[in-house]
Amino acid sequence: MPFATIDDLEAALRGASYLSDRGLSTALFLSLALEKPLLLEGEAGVGKTEAAKALAAGTSARLIRLQCYEGLDSAHAVYEWNYSRQLLHIRAAQEGTVSEQELFGPDFLIRRPLLEAIESTEPIVLLIDEIDRADDEFEAFLLEVLSDFQITIPEIGTVTARRRPAVILTSNRTRELHDALKRRCLFHWIDHPTLEREIEIVALRVPGIPERLATQAAAFVQGLRQLDLAKPPGVAETIDWARALDALGHSELDARTVEETLGSVLKYHEDFAAVRDEALVSLVEEARSVAAVS
Amino acid sequence: MTSAGGLVRQVVTFGRILREGGLEVGPGRISDALTGLDRLDIGDPDDVYWTLRTTLVSRPEDLGSFDRAFAAWFLRDPSAPPYRGSQPAERAGRTQQKARTDAHDEGEHFGDEPTEVGWSVHEVLRKKDFASMTAEEFSRTARALKEVAAARPLRRSRRLRPHARGRRLDLRRLARRSLGRGGDPIERTFRRRVEVPRKLVVLCDVSGSMEAYTRALLLFLHAVVGSGRGVEVFAFGTRLHRLTEEFRTRDPEQALAAAAARVVDWASGTRIGPSLKTFNDVWGRRALTRGAVVVIVSDGWERHDATLVAREMERLQRAAYAIVWVNPLKGNPEYEPLAGGMRAALPYVDRFMAGHNLASLEELAGVLAGIERRHAA
Repeated sequence: MPFATIDDLEAALRGASYLSDRGLSTALFLSLALEKPLLLEGEAGVGKTEAAKALAAGTSARLIRLQCYEGLDSAHAVYEWNYSRQLLHIRAAQEGTVSEQELFGPDFLIRRPLLEAIESTEPIVLLIDEIDRADDEFEAFLLEVLSDFQITIPEIGTVTARRRPAVILTSNRTRELHDALKRRCLFHWIDHPTLEREIEIVALRVPGIPERLATQAAAFVQGLRQLDLAKPPGVAETIDWARALDALGHSELDARTVEETLGSVLKYHEDFAAVRDEALVSLVEEARSVAAVS
Repeated sequence: MTSAGGLVRQVVTFGRILREGGLEVGPGRISDALTGLDRLDIGDPDDVYWTLRTTLVSRPEDLGSFDRAFAAWFLRDPSAPPYRGSQPAERAGRTQQKARTDAHDEGEHFGDEPTEVGWSVHEVLRKKDFASMTAEEFSRTARALKEVAAARPLRRSRRLRPHARGRRLDLRRLARRSLGRGGDPIERTFRRRVEVPRKLVVLCDVSGSMEAYTRALLLFLHAVVGSGRGVEVFAFGTRLHRLTEEFRTRDPEQALAAAAARVVDWASGTRIGPSLKTFNDVWGRRALTRGAVVVIVSDGWERHDATLVAREMERLQRAAYAIVWVNPLKGNPEYEPLAGGMRAALPYVDRFMAGHNLASLEELAGVLAGIERRHAA
């Protein structure tokens, strides 16, 4: 247990350039304290994956990431035997006296992320990213790993974690996860940040950005989220955009600049067109007035 | 919250309140909550709130119920939830939901019914409009619906399974079988991609103008949901409401009545456009539509802006694998799609079908089983 209080953990995350709100900090703290996996859900771009990366950086742990996709199976997530090596080995033994034990020993084992995380003796943050993309058969594989932190390999036996990794799962909710999996996890829903928090995040993630530009960019994106868009931008988009504006040498927003760079914030053509034709000017005005006040 | 024993009692009682509100709070979660609180300075209500929320809630839909319960129990203020971030999306609470065990019994009961009955339904009954059936005729027809509903569109899975005629070598099995033969791969083992049911999303109009048909169609849908994973059902009238969960756990007629009460505002008529928009915004954004066959059941009577229907249909079509529109009015040979909403939607519809009697639902099932994408993927 690396942290005595939630404040300590928050400070460590901040050290890793991640500003966490109290809810997320508490969830991460409990996940470490109770040694239970944490399931993070939230709209795209609110920083679910970043939270895991920051936790790894803040705890000086190694991040092992398993990106989920449909058809992901234990051979790609847990372990696989090195078949070509096995076949060569059988050949090389000539007489045909190779024992099964020899062939299915650690030498022929290829370790995939989950086994690697369980076997590791150094501190690990295991990120199981976008679990909803994997099919539900894969969730069943995860149950044993996440509740007992052990993996059973029929040919070798059960591998139990000597040191439990911190586990973060993320989901975009394209489908509902199985109750059995949810029962093994703590849960936290990440919201879009408040304006003040988003300004802080931009200032932290885009070092050297003029304060006024950071404020205006954050305020503008907050305004966008109030509109009726197909895909409201997340913090990730705010950061990208602020970075682009800063790189282009702007020190504040105006309608033209926004129109030229809006593509890094709005990823759908309808959204882009609607904002450009209707809301752009008033949003810029608003963002500029927010910056003028603060 | 003073003594340790007092705290345990508080949290246990709070768990019971949450359960009554429809959340699944088992002893494991309570124990996590207590262990968690043990690690904190519980003088700070903020930390207590977050600790209980992280440990006791597992779905964003339940956050609203949790906040209300927390306010009522720990802050003794039933009216004002103190913390309420933006909800993921507006979805009606599930507080009335029955326990899962009940639902299980119902499901089994449903499965006991002999399936052959379906096809013995008299030919006249198969062609009879649902709207003109007597109660007895309807109940005979209802049994046939289940069989019809079992057909599902298929898609190729990314997952490989052992298969005699596969193309990819199954090395794991090959190595093991070669063991006894000195490493000679005499017996080839293969894997290939198998077909699995395609996602199916059903949006069903339950407004007044559809009343004569929704009962039959909802029974049909209920059987479709029972046919396996990957089926999502939504009801709409004035608003959109997700029915999938209720369908899994409740009697279909009850679920229908509850849904109609929730989504139909009798004074303002059907709002297809806004309902489709909610679907696209809330569920489409989470890629629920992607690669799915979407079935819309509605007479196309839009009381409002038909251009919104067109716009949302276009969005839907881009993500969906195929769109099937079922309109019971089409059963009438003289029907022409003149209703504004229907006309606006048709250009985006891959198959336009009737669904007014059992025969037409059989046809629908056949289409669902063999549907091809009209547009290049």
